[in-house]
Amino acid sequence: MDEITIDDLAALSDDEFEQYEAEVDRLLAVWQVKNLRGQAAIFHDDQHLGDQRRQLTATDHPGASEMLNEPRTAVVDSLEGNALFHPLTTPVVEVDATATKARAVWWSVGVEGLSKFREHPMAIISLGMVPGTHVVEHGEWRILSGTWQRTTKNEYHAGWVHSMEPTNTRPPLTPEQDRAFMGRFAYRKDEVRAAVPEPPTRDTWKDFPDETDDGWLYVNLPS
Amino acid sequence: MAVTDERRARLATKLNKLRAYQEIQNQMGRVVAAINFRQADKVLERFALDRPDVSLEWADEGVFSGPEAVTTIVRETVGRDPLPGEMVDLQLTTPIIEVADDLGSARAVWWSPGAGATVEESQDPEAIWLWGMFAVDFLPYGDTWKVWHLHYFRYIKCRYDKGWTDDTSLINRLNVPMHPLSKPSTYHNPYSPLSIRDGLPAAPRPYATDDGIGWMLDRDKTR
Repeated sequence: MDEITIDDLAALSDDEFEQYEAEVDRLLAVWQVKNLRGQAAIFHDDQHLGDQRRQLTATDHPGASEMLNEPRTAVVDSLEGNALFHPLTTPVVEVDATATKARAVWWSVGVEGLSKFREHPMAIISLGMVPGTHVVEHGEWRILSGTWQRTTKNEYHAGWVHSMEPTNTRPPLTPEQDRAFMGRFAYRKDEVRAAVPEPPTRDTWKDFPDETDDGWLYVNLPS
Repeated sequence: MAVTDERRARLATKLNKLRAYQEIQNQMGRVVAAINFRQADKVLERFALDRPDVSLEWADEGVFSGPEAVTTIVRETVGRDPLPGEMVDLQLTTPIIEVADDLGSARAVWWSPGAGATVEESQDPEAIWLWGMFAVDFLPYGDTWKVWHLHYFRYIKCRYDKGWTDDTSLINRLNVPMHPLSKPSTYHNPYSPLSIRDGLPAAPRPYATDDGIGWMLDRDKTR
């Protein structure tokens, strides 16, 4: 098929043109949001402190996340052997009619290396999801909310039924704190899995018009 | 806002970029499937072999630059007769793709979880992990796109039973002579207990026209 030219679009009425243009902008937004989250995954694996980085998270929006914009602090003594490789799969992305807001969920099967105090690193299997809301700020897509939601974070050989590492922080989290944080919906062998996050539906922007409303993620939880 | 020819031209470019975005992902999926299935001809027919600067770099095996070098190494590796029990199973995730504004080239990164099985003499096959990242330049060919430069960055290569923190025996090539058609590798930093992750390959960023292969190793995280 030849390249599309303006001649191919000349027959469209103005109304048709604007309708198609809006749909194309929504499709481009899906692509750009996927690029954005891919870039965020790269930065997640590269944990150098203090490096100047392109701003990936919204800063000016009233709903901008304080947690996402906090500077990184050291949670390991050395970066040697530490790695966070969380590939993004299974994307579900819904863009609003104005192509300025997007909700999305990815699933991920990932691997990690963790060495807190320069000990030999632990190999970790990390399954999880990346739910989030994205907005256009300063002419580019940025992450408004949403970070890693853990399913497993297990020592490689022990497997996910018998091992669950907490999120590594300094000071370390108590089990209760970890469960209230990224481990809230993590796998547990004695529990039925909660269906969170729900992927955004086609009607997500009609049902939840406020981009700071995260209720769409939790529609399967008992009210 | 009036529907002008300038606006029609912008929409035509967006549509052409969207078509490229889809085709590039399909083409790269076909390349990876052909690598996995050991189909050298199907890999090579998706390389821009009419270009004197076509290239393939694989982990620390060096850079194979030019049609003769690319063809030779693909035939000698992908095209080698597979042994019973051998397996390569690379997958593509986390697409980060940019098509040049002039539609004359495209840049892409994928993260690639993978598994494999190696066979040595009469022993049982050995299960291994093969994780890495692809950074690829593409060129348009009519209604499709072909690989111009491909760089596979090794992340993990280890025995499945030991895992990536305990087995580093496979991350670097054996001490055997480099291939006579190879040139020095440009980057090799697989995971090991002593390695420190870099955010490489870098995410491609929007660009107007091709200005070289340097984006893959660009350490400027602010761009």
